Amino acid sequence: MSQVVLEKIVKRYAEVDVVHGIDLTVDSKEFVVLVGPSGCGKSTTLRMIAGLEEISDGTLSIGDRVVNDVAPKDRDVAMVFQNYALYPHLNVAENIAFGLRIRKVDKAEITRSVNEVAEILGLTNYLERKPADLSGGQRQRVAMGRAIVRHPEVFLFDEPLSNLDAQLRTQMRAEIKRLHSRLGVTSIYVTHDQVEAMTLADRIVVMSAGRIEQIGTPMELFMNPVNRFVAGFIGSPPMNQVKATIADGADGSVARISDTVSIPLSRAEGLAAANGQSVIVGIRPEDVLLEASGGEPSVPLDVNLIEPLGSEALIHASVGGEPFVIKTPTHGDISHLNDIKQFHVDVSRVKIFDEKSGSALYQADKAVG
Amino acid sequence: MKNSSRTSSLIQHFKREWQIYLLLAPLVIWFLLFLYKPMYGLQIAFKDFSLFKGVDASPWVGLEHFRTLFDSDMFIRAIKNTFIISFLNLLIGFPTPIILALMFNEIAQGKFRKSLQTIVYLPHFISLVIIAGIVINIFSPSTGVVNLLLQKLGFEPIYFLTQPEWFRPIFIGSGIWQEAGFQSIVYLAAIAGVSPSLYESAVVDGASRWQMMWKITLPCILPTIIIMLIIRIGNLLEVGFELIILLYQPSTFQTADVINTFIYRQGLVGNQYDVAAAAGLFNAVVAFVLVMAANTISRRLTRTSLW
Ligand SMILES: Nc1ncnc2c1ncn2[C@@H]1O[C@H](COP(=O)(O)OP(=O)(O)OP(=O)(O)O)[C@@H](O)[C@H]1O
Ligand SMILES: [Mg+2]
Repeated sequence: MSQVVLEKIVKRYAEVDVVHGIDLTVDSKEFVVLVGPSGCGKSTTLRMIAGLEEISDGTLSIGDRVVNDVAPKDRDVAMVFQNYALYPHLNVAENIAFGLRIRKVDKAEITRSVNEVAEILGLTNYLERKPADLSGGQRQRVAMGRAIVRHPEVFLFDEPLSNLDAQLRTQMRAEIKRLHSRLGVTSIYVTHDQVEAMTLADRIVVMSAGRIEQIGTPMELFMNPVNRFVAGFIGSPPMNQVKATIADGADGSVARISDTVSIPLSRAEGLAAANGQSVIVGIRPEDVLLEASGGEPSVPLDVNLIEPLGSEALIHASVGGEPFVIKTPTHGDISHLNDIKQFHVDVSRVKIFDEKSGSALYQADKAVG
Repeated sequence: MKNSSRTSSLIQHFKREWQIYLLLAPLVIWFLLFLYKPMYGLQIAFKDFSLFKGVDASPWVGLEHFRTLFDSDMFIRAIKNTFIISFLNLLIGFPTPIILALMFNEIAQGKFRKSLQTIVYLPHFISLVIIAGIVINIFSPSTGVVNLLLQKLGFEPIYFLTQPEWFRPIFIGSGIWQEAGFQSIVYLAAIAGVSPSLYESAVVDGASRWQMMWKITLPCILPTIIIMLIIRIGNLLEVGFELIILLYQPSTFQTADVINTFIYRQGLVGNQYDVAAAAGLFNAVVAFVLVMAANTISRRLTRTSLW
């Protein structure tokens, strides 16, 4: 019942648009993550949904109501803030109860709800403590508890984990995921950490400069980025982007990287390409073969630096003067990686983008729609 | 052995940090010269002081002057007045700037708020003598605004400043008029320090502005309020006696004469330096006890304290 629909949502500050007409439908019980670089308008969008920022243009509906002019308290949303926004003078139990007290919920009912939420979040032993006496992770939990206790239609999260250290973040990420599958509440989650986005989201919305670049499941975005921006944003390390030119090959069109190296295009891509067109060949760092298994085109490279990560290693190299990163399994030994002189491309995993527009030459979803 | 190493590390410390001590020096010198050195003269409170013999040569008389003071109805009256005026001042004057700050906080930032703030800050920058002049003018029986208004409404004019029952309201009121605005700056700064996301979170939770003021703003600035209260209690007996001297007259001594004005009249007008010193010492001891008590109570109750 609690679908969130944004139609042509615009945010304008004194004649400057910072969000340019966003269209997005978040289904009931869905977990949607907004990602994008700093300043792209993620928080602004979320705050418009919460009602903390006025919507300059467009329509926002929650459930089956248009809520553009509905006060935040009547939108039935709960928000978790980056700095937790805990009341320093209230203890954990009172912090969690705050929203219910404001709504004049019955005392016994408040106690019951607070205890239940504390149980879920493992805060039962800390109910009497003040926020100042809690660890970062515990504060984070209290902030979550304050949202959960109200049983809202929609959860809004604005970078809730970015003040935590890496280990705690991984742990809380799993906890948020567990909570979502347990409570099944529609959630919109803002982060600039793409790992968080990939692990938490049912669907990811990639934003840049106030626009949506692509919406899709984590794997869709990873496998079929619609443009260079998404390709560079999703995946770590990001997709390598190498300049090439479309030419006629022996067996259909090819993207020619250099005189000696050409990548054959798929049929669909070949149809979309024009001879002589400048393109970008996108190669994921992990889609590179160091040993040819037969017939893959090989590309010469100069190795600059090896970064061992344990089970894997990153090879920082240059191809035709441009930086190029390869991620490869180490099998416990990295000594041979310095001697690599060439790599092979798994052509079935390569993406081709038009250089000028940055769009993928062939977009699976567009072809279907 | 141990001692010498400590001395050398102290020397090291001064070598390293001498700039900081240099910055501290003027204040320390000021304290020594103007607050500690005069304390030497305090002993005349226990002596039969004579200007010709000097402080050292005057003979000791023990608690004689204190006995004189506490036998004097005028001194007892001054103590009583001091406490009544300070207490009323605290009761009305202390919350006023807090309320002002909360009210300013509810007005959106802009020209209107700026002008309003300037208007309430302004009296702070006016000299006390002029403030007293304004007050005397406003309440004058023939040309004062208040009396003109009373006459228009068909009442008899009142000569406010000669009537003992009017002195305290007028004195406390003019003190608030002069200082409340300026004192509100401290609270406005404290309010500005409250994280905006606390309010945003409360808005999403459904809190009204009134609830946010009571449940967020006030508790968050409570530490500041308590510090200000401790300082205020420490200065409780400093009832702004300059303004009293400017406003009172023998006909209102009955409600207006406080310890400090009493000391002023005894010492400077009556040349009874030793009795005045005894009264001053009494005043200081009471103030010291008050500030210690306020600090201790606050530390126990709220974990906030000056030291
Ligand atoms: N009050 C304002 N007036 C003008 N511009 C603003 C205002 N608030 C935000 N902006 C602009 O809106 C844009 C989007 O800001 P927003 O906070 O939504 O970014 P974000 O995607 O959340 O970034 P981050 O990851 O750093 O939090 C930014 O370019 C910012 O400068
Ligand atoms: Mg943000």
